[in-house]
Amino acid sequence: MKGRKVALVGGATTRFGVRSATWAELVQEVGVALARSVPELRSEEVDSLFVGAAEPERFAFQSHVAPLVAEQLGITPYKILQRTELACASGQSAIRSAYAAISSGLSDIAVVVGAEKMNLPSMAEANSAMACVMDRPWDGPAGATAPPFFAMVAQRHMLEFGTTEEQLAAISEKNHRFANTNPNAQFYEKTFSRDKLLRLPLIAPPLRLGDCSSMTDGAAAVLLTAEEHALRFTDSPAWIRGSGQYSDFHNLAHAGSLTEWRGLTRASREALGQAGIGVKDLDLAEIHDCFTISEIVEYEALGLCPKGEGGKFAADGRGDLGGDLVVNPRGGLLGCGHPLGATGVAQAVEVFQQFSAEVPPARQAPDPEWALVHNLSGSANVHSVMIYQRGGAA
Amino acid sequence: MTSSPAERPRRPRPEAALRPKDSAPVETSPPPPTAPLPKPIPKRPFLLDFFPLEGPEQTKLHRFYDRLREGHLSTTRCRRDAELHWPPRTMCPRCRSEDLEWVDLPERGHVYAFSAVLAGAPLGMEQDVPFAVGLVDLDGVSLRIFGRIEGRPWTELRIGQPVRPEAYDIGDGRMFYRFRTVD
Repeated sequence: MKGRKVALVGGATTRFGVRSATWAELVQEVGVALARSVPELRSEEVDSLFVGAAEPERFAFQSHVAPLVAEQLGITPYKILQRTELACASGQSAIRSAYAAISSGLSDIAVVVGAEKMNLPSMAEANSAMACVMDRPWDGPAGATAPPFFAMVAQRHMLEFGTTEEQLAAISEKNHRFANTNPNAQFYEKTFSRDKLLRLPLIAPPLRLGDCSSMTDGAAAVLLTAEEHALRFTDSPAWIRGSGQYSDFHNLAHAGSLTEWRGLTRASREALGQAGIGVKDLDLAEIHDCFTISEIVEYEALGLCPKGEGGKFAADGRGDLGGDLVVNPRGGLLGCGHPLGATGVAQAVEVFQQFSAEVPPARQAPDPEWALVHNLSGSANVHSVMIYQRGGAA
Repeated sequence: MTSSPAERPRRPRPEAALRPKDSAPVETSPPPPTAPLPKPIPKRPFLLDFFPLEGPEQTKLHRFYDRLREGHLSTTRCRRDAELHWPPRTMCPRCRSEDLEWVDLPERGHVYAFSAVLAGAPLGMEQDVPFAVGLVDLDGVSLRIFGRIEGRPWTELRIGQPVRPEAYDIGDGRMFYRFRTVD
């Protein structure tokens, strides 16, 4: 890769869940947590700020959020100040923008904050905010929200490949089990056996409540620096080695077969190619399990297993501790909840903590060197992938 | 008065249904005298209303809604490369031409995939729960369109179910489309 080396040198999240706090208060909370994570950071050396926020206008009635975050964190960015929006991938977009800025030499030290406040007094209003992620004047009036779309993906995957409800439940059980090791997860200390998951109510058939990630309030933050600053903040930076994205449609009319996510295949090949590794080299993956079926299709699109065998890959525990690689040890979107702008940043925090061996043994990937982070957004029409490598030096 | 396509003569052959209906997708001539103008003020504030503003003063694609009022689902087709669009466009995304024409879409299709909203409906749709939605392959053209599916409960739907597009008045003079099962 051309450009300067970029390191992720620290990060933190708030507790995710139904929080008695406003959007701005969640940002302040994560500011405290970030300061604890990188105590050497001086406010005045932060030259840039990137804020991942999907819909503060809808969820918090607040636009122009980047300067609001800067004021609350007590920083005065003087190179780049920016908010990124890419729906469910807004957080990773903020990291990617910071990466590009540092890699290019425009920035040296950048703070990335992702935040979303999704639980409103009226959940119908919150659902409306979610629904305008789709092609609103065309698919929106029909009631196109994420659950029915991903339910159709599941229906086709079951029809074409024989994927079962039990295989979907295997994903949910794994990620909720991991969430029980994560005190910041929305479903911390809540257990979900496969039997219990299969008895939960249908939300959008064939998807049940336990197949769907939640409406969640939360924030996450990371610090990215150029190579020469990295070791001042940590002994074990996570180096960004690759980045890929792909988007080829928006209206649901162009979603193709539903079960083949070519965009993820393209984005991950791009990112892995930049890193100079293959998918089999990955020790750890934080991938976008907004629904159980998503993680199954992602196994296939990433090339971890042949097309149609994602359900078996899940049921066989190949994405679990002791499997081919550890997938979603943080607890995933299913277990942690999915505050849109915060999710991608929180996944990167997990990678950093896994590399630093700061997570409980019940979710620690064994001696991880390579990690992949993936977010989809909308109707899986956009895929965003980043590759991280553990290391002491660039 | 608005009527549903069920009350109109059916034209089952897709090639007939695809006959161009109008030469200009973005022209601003007034709609036919039999079609009442949509009421300009929606019942819900614009930012909480999923249904689009449909009048000629609000969208270049007002012909789409005029044609719905006449009971037909239509879209644009590029005169240069014959690309059939969905949703209707003002520019062909394949060749960037603005020389488009309106065509009616086939009046029959089959369900490719479906689900139902049993919870978590957006504002204004809570009273519709449960409702079925799906992707429908329209017969004879390469288009798969998302929409509500009416006519039978989701528990009785199946992949391959024949459906037809249906225009309906959303209740304030504006028109939209959905699918209805046919036997």
